[in-house]
Amino acid sequence: MKFSYNWLRDLVDQLDTPPSELAQLITIKTAESEGVEAHGDDCVIEIDNKSLTHRPDLWGHYGMAREVAAILGRKLIDPVEPQEFPRSASVRVSIEDHALCPRYSALVFDNVTVKPSPQWLQQRLEAVGLNPINNIVDVTNYVLAELAQPMHAFDAAKLQGSEIMVRPARAGETIKALNDETYTLDPSNLVIADSTGPVAIAGIIGGADSAISNSTTRIVLESANFNASSVRKTSSRLRLRTDASMRFEKAQDPVNTIRGLERAFALLQEVSPGVRLAGGLADNYRPIPVPPPVVLSLDWLNRKLGRAVPEDEVRRILESLEFRVEEIAPRVFSVFVPTWRATKDVTIKEDLVEEVGRMIGYDSIPPVAPLTPARVPPASPEREFHHRVRLMAAAQGFTEVHNYSFISEDTARVFSVDVSAQVQVSNPIVSDQNLLRTSLLPGIWKNIRDNARHFDRFRLFEIGRAIHPDGEVPRFTAAMFAKDNGASGVFELKRLAECLLPGVSVRPADATQSYEHPRRTGDVLCGETNVGRLFEFHPKMVEGGRAAVLDLDLTRLMQLQPTPERYQPLRRFPESAFDLSVVANPRTLIADIQSALEKLAGDALLSIVFLREFALPDGARSLSYRLTVGAPDRTLSAEEVGLVRTRIIEGMRSAGYELRL
Amino acid sequence: MSPEQIISDLHATSLSALEQATTLDALEAIRVDALGRKGKLAEVSKAFGKLAPEERARVGKLLNTVKQDLETRLDQRKTALDSVAIDVRLESEWVDLTAPAPGIRPGSLHPITHVQRELEELFVSLGFAIMDGPEVETEHYNFDALNIPADHPARDAQDTFWLKDGRLLRTHTSPVQIRALEKFGPPLKMIAPGRVFRNEEVDASHEHTFYQLEGMMVDRDVSVAHLLYFMKTLLSAIFHRDVTVRLRPGFFPFVEPGFELDIQCLICGGKGCPVCKHSGWVELLPCGLVNPAVLRAGGVDPEQWNGFAFGLGLTRLAMMRYGIDDIRLFAGGDLRFLRQF
Repeated sequence: MKFSYNWLRDLVDQLDTPPSELAQLITIKTAESEGVEAHGDDCVIEIDNKSLTHRPDLWGHYGMAREVAAILGRKLIDPVEPQEFPRSASVRVSIEDHALCPRYSALVFDNVTVKPSPQWLQQRLEAVGLNPINNIVDVTNYVLAELAQPMHAFDAAKLQGSEIMVRPARAGETIKALNDETYTLDPSNLVIADSTGPVAIAGIIGGADSAISNSTTRIVLESANFNASSVRKTSSRLRLRTDASMRFEKAQDPVNTIRGLERAFALLQEVSPGVRLAGGLADNYRPIPVPPPVVLSLDWLNRKLGRAVPEDEVRRILESLEFRVEEIAPRVFSVFVPTWRATKDVTIKEDLVEEVGRMIGYDSIPPVAPLTPARVPPASPEREFHHRVRLMAAAQGFTEVHNYSFISEDTARVFSVDVSAQVQVSNPIVSDQNLLRTSLLPGIWKNIRDNARHFDRFRLFEIGRAIHPDGEVPRFTAAMFAKDNGASGVFELKRLAECLLPGVSVRPADATQSYEHPRRTGDVLCGETNVGRLFEFHPKMVEGGRAAVLDLDLTRLMQLQPTPERYQPLRRFPESAFDLSVVANPRTLIADIQSALEKLAGDALLSIVFLREFALPDGARSLSYRLTVGAPDRTLSAEEVGLVRTRIIEGMRSAGYELRL
Repeated sequence: MSPEQIISDLHATSLSALEQATTLDALEAIRVDALGRKGKLAEVSKAFGKLAPEERARVGKLLNTVKQDLETRLDQRKTALDSVAIDVRLESEWVDLTAPAPGIRPGSLHPITHVQRELEELFVSLGFAIMDGPEVETEHYNFDALNIPADHPARDAQDTFWLKDGRLLRTHTSPVQIRALEKFGPPLKMIAPGRVFRNEEVDASHEHTFYQLEGMMVDRDVSVAHLLYFMKTLLSAIFHRDVTVRLRPGFFPFVEPGFELDIQCLICGGKGCPVCKHSGWVELLPCGLVNPAVLRAGGVDPEQWNGFAFGLGLTRLAMMRYGIDDIRLFAGGDLRFLRQF
């Protein structure tokens, strides 16, 4: 919203604060200034529209002038001269639903001369970014920019019938608007209609057919009030934002329609000499509700601000903003909200804390530490665990990435995801990024391919949420890429899994997905619980190298973390170790042989470690283990150790394994 | 030959052999030969019995002197030879320390993680709890409970990703305010960092996915003065120096009064420079006293309790901290960028 400095000077007595200084004061006390620019002999202060969304009154110069007057302690000059319009209206107004149109006021003028506006008026409009059109339209825009009251002038000769109807559009009704666009309407759009159809989209734009032209001599001047959310909905459905709709969206003051007409009446006489009022005021409205006063305890106010504000200062501030203040008890005010602040903006006592706070200046409030008891905040174990995982992965050489939560249906299919079971975005940023990820794999896959262009080998990981229709699951997905043909990736990642969850094991998967290497894919298990997947990407998925992935469910990983409780006393008696080599078929699993050995060793076994494997000429593998045995209360004799060893050897032999001794 | 003569000769021979010895083995041979149990000095002392008492005393004294001298010399020589030997070994063990060390290098954490962790630790040290909320939210938590009804213009400012099931991707971390109040009730000091979404075209300064950190304190009689204190304390810690802050009116439906918090420009110290657009101030975060409607939505009686809330843009903070001028780098997954942190 652009504010003309000269215009503000008309409305604030003895305004002499330089424009840039004024803009700073407005920023600190009222709304954010985005800059000051010279405009001829005027200066324009640009205020951020976003900082005005709650202030219908500040969409006109008079509202801002009231702020400036209050800030500077000057007198506010009202540009409106009250008029006594006759009651015999020459146009009839009917309103179908007062909820959508609380008030519709209109005057009819005769003997109008349409011509360019005088220079001063054109300059004012140009300064605030409005295009001068002709004297009649310019007057309506002037009132809009001054009083925040949107108005519209119809060429009365082009309105059919004697009644102006405010009603929902009929399905399929069309209107050619002043911008030369034709809009097709539906019953959610409110229109102004004559006997033949819509002549304006209520609160947004007038129709071209009843527009003011050079031949216009009689006009109907509309000054109405429309429901904010209805205007907003229609404006957003038609993708049509106008100076009028922007104001009505903020919930304008129904009292203001008459002030708008009074101001326009005076201006018309100046810009179209000889203009005559035809009949009197048409004014259709429902009773304007008077909100109850807000009760403000001054002690409460001081506690909210954290600073004492003298009673008379509170009163002065509120009155300068035209709140009416009555003291109903010692140090308790009853505050009556002016109509232009009462539509939405000020309804509760907290709103008054803001009025007083901003005017005394928040910089006058010294920072104070609160006197509250010290409390240990509730812990966030999940977050702490995620961070430990992050640090562990980084220590193992993995770099953290963040990927988007969106994926495409094509990608989902690559990862064998059931598209229909995914959460779908109705309005995706790019039409094909319409699914929420149920896995971090798609993002990690893209990271691998992107980074393979720059690096021969790399490791990366992400901690993020997989989003399913029934909830969000934190996942950890790490990947390793190397431009070689080795299998080191899955083992590096297996080591990472072992670091993250001691005691974890990997079991070759019975079935694999199309993106997985069928012979290098396994489930990551903790006991019998599946905590994730370890796999190498199928060679068709990654060019120029091998990429392996570890994909873990962080919730399960956290639940299964071992918690040391009672320590194991250190062993007092020496232990004995011996090595065994088992000859196994080429695809016998190291882990399976190991558990067979463990079972046979029994209670005496303290530890078993796989040492090495060695390929035999016939293709079999010789798998070597070191077994350590002992007893808690004595040293095992050579005979006892020998018995254990013999038991294992014989057990393995009877299970069909050959041992190399 | 007199015994003295024999001892003196033996002494001289041993000393000269000692001079020529270059190995520990040679030294040992000399020791055994002269001082051993069956060595030459032992041999001489065997003949003691035949000597006259006064001669015996004299020869004995000489014998001891020579013995001690030889032992000392042997030790000295041994030390010298040891030292040569260790020198030779050390010399042969030279390595090129400029060679690269084997093993993997640590990876790095995402810049957002660094900034987020730093803030989390800071807030925890001030007694704040860290809370989480879902990324997929309901309209209730994201808007209605935060005093943003359906037709509120504030919804326009937050372009929302709507989901086909009627839910949405949270547009801010503020819904966690309500969830935290429901779960823990007052008094409460909490922050909620996390990922948020806005349906915006992506360019160097706009992202549809970014990170925020929500903060809230609810207690008895929380004031603007308390908010100022916390903000000043926190921002001084974040920027590692004393910062000057100011509040000015800002409209956010979930707070009343609402503020924009500016900090005095850290580049120019408030004199005005291009970074602060010559205003001396940089807009940093929105904050305010929690709107009573929000407290009520969280099941808290606003007549008994009130609080302050603020929202910090973690992504924006990371951009300021590291001078990152393209927001797309954060989710770009490019290790050339990520390995710098």
